[in-house]
Amino acid sequence: MKIVSKHPLLVGTALLTLATGALYGCKDFLSNAAAPQGTLDAGTLANRSGVEGTLIGAYRTLDCTSATGAWGCAASDWVFGSVAADDSYKGSNATDQPPVNDIEGYHWGTPDADSYLEQKWQISYEGVVRANSALRLLKQVVTSSPGEFSVADANGVAGEALFLRAHYHFEAWKMFGNIPYYREDETDFRKANETSALVVADILKDLDSAIKLLPTTPRNGQKGRASQWTAKAYKGRVQVYSGDYAGALVTLKDVKNNGPYALETSYDHVWTGFAALANGPETIWAFQASANDGEPNGNNANFGERLNFPYSGSHFGCCGFNQPSQNLVNFYQVDVNGLPLALSSAATWNASDANFVGGPANVTPVDPRLDWTAGRDGVPYKDWGLYSSAGGWVRDLGNGGPYSPKKNAEEQASGAESKVGWQNTQLNSVNIHLFRYADLLLLLAEAEVETNDLAGATAIVNSIRARAGVTAQGCGKGSDAATQAALVAAYPACATDSRMAVPINDPSIKWAVYKVGQYPTFTDQAYAREAVRTERRLELAMEGQRFFDLRRWGLAYAAAAINGYINGEGGGMEKSSARRLYKAGAETFIARHMFYPIPSLEVSLSTIGGTKRLAQNPGW
Amino acid sequence: MEKVLGTHSFLNGGSRWLLAAGASLLFTLVFSGRALSQDIAVSGTVTSTVGAPISGVTVRVQGTDTRAVTNASGKYFLRAPADAVLTFSYVGQRQVQTTIAGRNTVDATMAQIPYLEEVVVTAYTEQRRGDITGAVSSVNVAAAERQTGASVLKALDATVPGITVTGSGSPGSRSTVRIRGISSFQNNDPLYIIDGTPVQDSYINFLNPNDITSIQVLKDASAASIYGSRASNGVILIETNRKGVAGPPRTTLRVRTGVASPVRGYDDFLIENSADYFQVVKQSYLNAGQAVPTAVYGDLNNPTVPNYIFAASGAATSVDPYGRPITVDATKYSFPNSLIMPGSTGTNWWKAVFSPAGVGDYNADVAGGSDDNAYRVSFNYFNQTGTAIYNDYRRGSVRVNTQFNRSKLTFGENMALSVDRSYGGIPNDPGGYAEDNIIGKSVLMQPVIPVFDINGNFAGGKCCGLGNQFNPVHVAFAAKDNLTKNNRAFGNGFVGLEITPSLTFKTNAGFTVYQNSFNGFNTAFPENAEATFTYGINESDFQSTDWNVSNTLRYIKTLNRNSFDFLVGQEAGANNNRSISASMSNLLSTDLNSRYIQDALGDASTKNVFSSGGKSALLSVFGKADYNFADKYVASATVRRDGSSRLAPGHQWGTFPAYGLGWRLTNEPFLSNNRILTDVMLRYGWGVTGNQLIPPGRIVSVFGGDRGDTFYDISGTNAIVPGYRQSLQGNPDLKWEENKSSNVGADMVLLNGMFNVVVDVYKRATNNLLFAPQAPATAGVAAPPIVNIGKMRNTGIDFSIGHQAAAWNVTFNGSHYKNEIVSINGVQNFFYGPISTRYGNQVINEVGHPIGAFYGYIADGYFKDAADVAAHATQDGAAPGRLKFRDVNGDGKITLDDRTIIGSPHPKFTGGLDLGAHRGNFDVSATVFGTFGNKIFNVQDEFYVFRNFETNVRKDLLANSWTPQNLNAKYPRLDKNDLYSHALSSFYVEDGSYIRLRNVQVGYNVRSAMSRWLPDDSRVYVQAENMFTHTNYSGLDPALPAANVFGAAGDIRDQYMGVDRGSYPTNKVFSFGFTTSF
Repeated sequence: MKIVSKHPLLVGTALLTLATGALYGCKDFLSNAAAPQGTLDAGTLANRSGVEGTLIGAYRTLDCTSATGAWGCAASDWVFGSVAADDSYKGSNATDQPPVNDIEGYHWGTPDADSYLEQKWQISYEGVVRANSALRLLKQVVTSSPGEFSVADANGVAGEALFLRAHYHFEAWKMFGNIPYYREDETDFRKANETSALVVADILKDLDSAIKLLPTTPRNGQKGRASQWTAKAYKGRVQVYSGDYAGALVTLKDVKNNGPYALETSYDHVWTGFAALANGPETIWAFQASANDGEPNGNNANFGERLNFPYSGSHFGCCGFNQPSQNLVNFYQVDVNGLPLALSSAATWNASDANFVGGPANVTPVDPRLDWTAGRDGVPYKDWGLYSSAGGWVRDLGNGGPYSPKKNAEEQASGAESKVGWQNTQLNSVNIHLFRYADLLLLLAEAEVETNDLAGATAIVNSIRARAGVTAQGCGKGSDAATQAALVAAYPACATDSRMAVPINDPSIKWAVYKVGQYPTFTDQAYAREAVRTERRLELAMEGQRFFDLRRWGLAYAAAAINGYINGEGGGMEKSSARRLYKAGAETFIARHMFYPIPSLEVSLSTIGGTKRLAQNPGW
Repeated sequence: MEKVLGTHSFLNGGSRWLLAAGASLLFTLVFSGRALSQDIAVSGTVTSTVGAPISGVTVRVQGTDTRAVTNASGKYFLRAPADAVLTFSYVGQRQVQTTIAGRNTVDATMAQIPYLEEVVVTAYTEQRRGDITGAVSSVNVAAAERQTGASVLKALDATVPGITVTGSGSPGSRSTVRIRGISSFQNNDPLYIIDGTPVQDSYINFLNPNDITSIQVLKDASAASIYGSRASNGVILIETNRKGVAGPPRTTLRVRTGVASPVRGYDDFLIENSADYFQVVKQSYLNAGQAVPTAVYGDLNNPTVPNYIFAASGAATSVDPYGRPITVDATKYSFPNSLIMPGSTGTNWWKAVFSPAGVGDYNADVAGGSDDNAYRVSFNYFNQTGTAIYNDYRRGSVRVNTQFNRSKLTFGENMALSVDRSYGGIPNDPGGYAEDNIIGKSVLMQPVIPVFDINGNFAGGKCCGLGNQFNPVHVAFAAKDNLTKNNRAFGNGFVGLEITPSLTFKTNAGFTVYQNSFNGFNTAFPENAEATFTYGINESDFQSTDWNVSNTLRYIKTLNRNSFDFLVGQEAGANNNRSISASMSNLLSTDLNSRYIQDALGDASTKNVFSSGGKSALLSVFGKADYNFADKYVASATVRRDGSSRLAPGHQWGTFPAYGLGWRLTNEPFLSNNRILTDVMLRYGWGVTGNQLIPPGRIVSVFGGDRGDTFYDISGTNAIVPGYRQSLQGNPDLKWEENKSSNVGADMVLLNGMFNVVVDVYKRATNNLLFAPQAPATAGVAAPPIVNIGKMRNTGIDFSIGHQAAAWNVTFNGSHYKNEIVSINGVQNFFYGPISTRYGNQVINEVGHPIGAFYGYIADGYFKDAADVAAHATQDGAAPGRLKFRDVNGDGKITLDDRTIIGSPHPKFTGGLDLGAHRGNFDVSATVFGTFGNKIFNVQDEFYVFRNFETNVRKDLLANSWTPQNLNAKYPRLDKNDLYSHALSSFYVEDGSYIRLRNVQVGYNVRSAMSRWLPDDSRVYVQAENMFTHTNYSGLDPALPAANVFGAAGDIRDQYMGVDRGSYPTNKVFSFGFTTSF
């Protein structure tokens, strides 16, 4: 004990250290280190800007985000709406993105297909969750801080959130039909699904509430927001989709007669990267893509579309997906009256398997919308030079054919291209139309046909055809000196003419004969129905709508169209060796294809007590 | 424009400085310590009780600084006063004292300390084995030293039963250590205690293996629960040499240099010849009824390798009928847009990337001291060049350990600085596809593609069906200046006070200050099929500070035949970290000196900055009581209370009790002097340990936003405004995860020490498992809350059997465990693994099965013919020659519901064999490791069998594919349209068992007679590692590293074991080593 007696101070200090250490046991030591770092808490957002920001987040899920899937969540629904229909092939090469092969072949029960279906399910419900968060937070702030919001703004926020909730459920409904519907106060996320009809009623209920709450023009003048007219238009769409033509007629006519929308003056103004043309009169609602907005990976610049560009021989570089089908390209041929050949020569319009190459020798008259919808050989591709499938613009000709998607591609002169991100050349700020006025008019025409107002339907279809006849693809220019030289070599007049859009009879056009005729009158309801449906395909091709259109026209119609597309329609079949031989492996379209299967992961995750509360769709 | 330049200079600035400083200090110490003497010469031989010479015995002249060490023949030589006393001491042997008494020859016989008398370092104290009731394994540090590598952990799996270690051949790669299976869905790393200080980081590369003197592994709760929190995955106690060697400075040099090469290459089993490759392509088109492409090989019946596979537009001056350039105009070449690439008759892509590479490990230390003090200073420089091109790892470290004894006071410190630098390689096997690194899909490039184009720039598949793989040499070249730096200062100071002979107080303060930084370069790939043209950089910096203080009071008392040992203590520690990362694209110059993130150096609008941080704290009190009666009955009890900042208020504190019982059977009268059972102790232990190692701050729900996820251009003007969403759901009830374990064991010394046997049988049940299982998408993408509800169970057995003879020794150890998920969250019974590959997710965690089980269809061979297709359940794409999947649920169709568990990555048995022998001045040692019954999911089949993305394929693919004549072929029918057989199934699952000769070392102890220049205590050796592997695995290397996967709940790599996505293979290493002391 010598050291203790000799150095009491030392021992004392040591023991004091121990004691002090023990006193550390006070609460603060642990609680001071408990707070999460680099995050916001619920309290920080419980105010006006928090509510508005939460609502912004709910808009963002209109396209894939950095937190959700890859291409199954695309705003355009290109996989489920275009590739699954007769508009396009998966394209690219045989093995890239195999899930899309299975969607294209109607093998929707495979593990590959399941992964894409999961993405669509996930993005739809993420949209619902975000819309519901905004509604909950709004309620909380309005209750706790009554001064934060004016009544108008509170109603506006609520209206937009309800509208978004309706939209996201509609997206899930048109895919899967029997889905669960989630409102802001729910906590059981393993709910059973509702029947398809009940879901429609729920969607319409939310839309009606939104219509009551929303102002007639977008809040703050911000074009991306839903207004009362957006909600009304959307209601009409839902009514048409659910077969309520009488109801739709009322709603859509109201929008047509009293709403703020009009057709663009020319077709090339509809899908465009030019900022001045964005959100024009035809836009009812669009995903507001933005490029070079400070986001470092180009995630807001149409991430969902980035695969759908011509391949590495072109300016874009990759990946050659969503290639227009031979069937679609043939569909743009017109007869001597400038009316669709598919109507006047139903047995032969699709007979040609040949690459539909543009050029002075090609005098087959076509609808000018063809060359705004599909890239094809011999025709300038917007203002990027002469399209050349053999020159590397197509990834694997044997697999995907010679055509490329075009609507979603930016114009060089628009400056809409992203400067950042993987393959930045395939990212742009071209808004993705979620609903445009031509679409609405054609839905109205359908309702008019079904309610026997054939004159009304003729007028609508002719107005759309008149607009289609305004401009055609012009020379444009090459993406660089070499492509410009190739363009001029093919078409010398292009040396001095760089207009991208020209009148359809412009002398500079040497690659096609364009013609769009007017229907004199629809003679009977059946002809009118087919003419409207034909017009709908011509106008909205490659916009992700075709498959859902075919399906809502009934099992018989959809099966005839899809099985005909593969096995012989208009004198040509896709599964032939001259076209896409691999289509021979496609499953026949039958009743079960009327709904996509609910993702197996979600069915499994809905299990409580051994019971799967989400019932799988019939046949899957 | 990029050209291939020379490799790096041998040393960079920092390491050169370190080496220079080390060398000069060394010489100062060496030349200051010599003393003259007029004494008599004494020499002798030290042998064991069985007559074997013992080398390394320290022979000291008592009361002086004079000292010698025996050589391999057990001989020593020194000068000493004729009447002096000599002490012989050596680890593991009882000390011997002899007076010289005027003799010139003084021999000694040393007896081994019996196994149960060995003193080992355990939690907070040192204990005699005979007093330990838990499962504690000591690592054979000497065997561990026979592995070449930056981390000591790599060597543990063959040498300690119950431990598995995975790691890749990438220099400096992280090793993943698991003790007794997997007890949690996340964070299964053991707790490392280095010189009494807990270390959070399991990347142990910062510790120089040569500084380590002992490693103890606390495997069960009764041994580990005094560490309470964090101990549920076991504890590894590492002691660095702080005792020094009493006497004048003694210098030891240890040098090893060698050459490493991969154990296997893709060129061993992938096609190397372009013409052979074309035959595969041709057959797959023909079988699909499609036209065979002619753009590369021309006439399909007379294929030829083209002069050029790609020529920029206008560069071809003549072409053949297939459009292939015969001659080109090289003046049309320009980089990056107009490239011209020759065709290759067969590029060996593996050899283009991998080649033998050097490794060097240089150590110097100086140790010395007296009764009052001891010191050891060590220096290390380790440099391993990767077998992959442009891959290099270097580490320098300095350690200073001191201890001072002043009367009743003991104090000292252990302090180390470690700096490492690495370039390239795959130090952390990534999550995600893992395709685009230097192995993955990249080395599956088609052989017709050359490495370089006609101008010496990198070539690629920029043509007609050559695939969009990355040129792996380009990938490596682009990363050659990507520098990862780790700087770390760590250590501890300690003070001990002997208040009375029975009562001691000890305090220990430890710290780690750590900095990690990375500078990366993203290059353009203009030669790719999907060409890219932009250059970018990214960099990050991470700083972390840890501190830990513990105070313990120990009281030891012996009363007659009862002895008591009490310990009480208190501990506190905290971590703070912060990181910042930034990136920028579209660099104006790619010059190394311009790679900074500044507005003018690239596109300023692409600048992106991100910072984050974390905080956590732990507070603990603990106590331990040991009781021993007559060396026959041993009992111990432990209790610890831990408070964690990561858990919810009200649940922050957890209590972790444990107890153990031991019975020294052979000390009973009825077994005393038993001829077979020399010394036997039976042990039983039970205890509870905890786990709280989840990311901090998960108690409350948090919100956030991201420009690419929640921000939106609401006004349609190409300008985004902020948006928010819930980013994760908190759980205000977060509690401790608890692991209850029980262990029954026996330590046996048989036949008078001829055999040593240790056997342990255990059961570990984890309760309140902390994890965030996937929630339904209807709940949103916000990270689901971490909940405490799952249960997991491990049962197993570990054993080791050792035999010691005069001239040789052998130890065999083995272990078996069975892991089972007992429940997940009370609602769902499964969740998928964290990674999807191209064809989906092949891992499921399901109740009733082990963690990380493989999942998919059962492949039942191939469809024979159309009748077979018709007879089978309806299957998408069914056709003769395609894989047939089993209708598991018998509903007549193959659907997603037919997927099932198709294998487990967990071994049924792992074992190690350690052999040693010596004769004369030679010694030989070897280690063999084997793992049995584990399966590997070979994802690389997606490419080299199913040819996704037009990759290269296996050499035997054409010959062994299904044909009507070869119904039981190894591979399905070659068919371009077969997009069905590739579905994830048991076809991909292979036996991953292997036996590997880890190392063989032959050493020679230099005798002074043979060399005038070398000190007596010198040894040279040659060593060969991983020279021989026996396995049926068809891929590169069955020894797969764990993928570096993190999820919302932290490190979840154990949910992704045994999946081969293209990892850096283990190395064969031939080396030469030299050790000397003077």
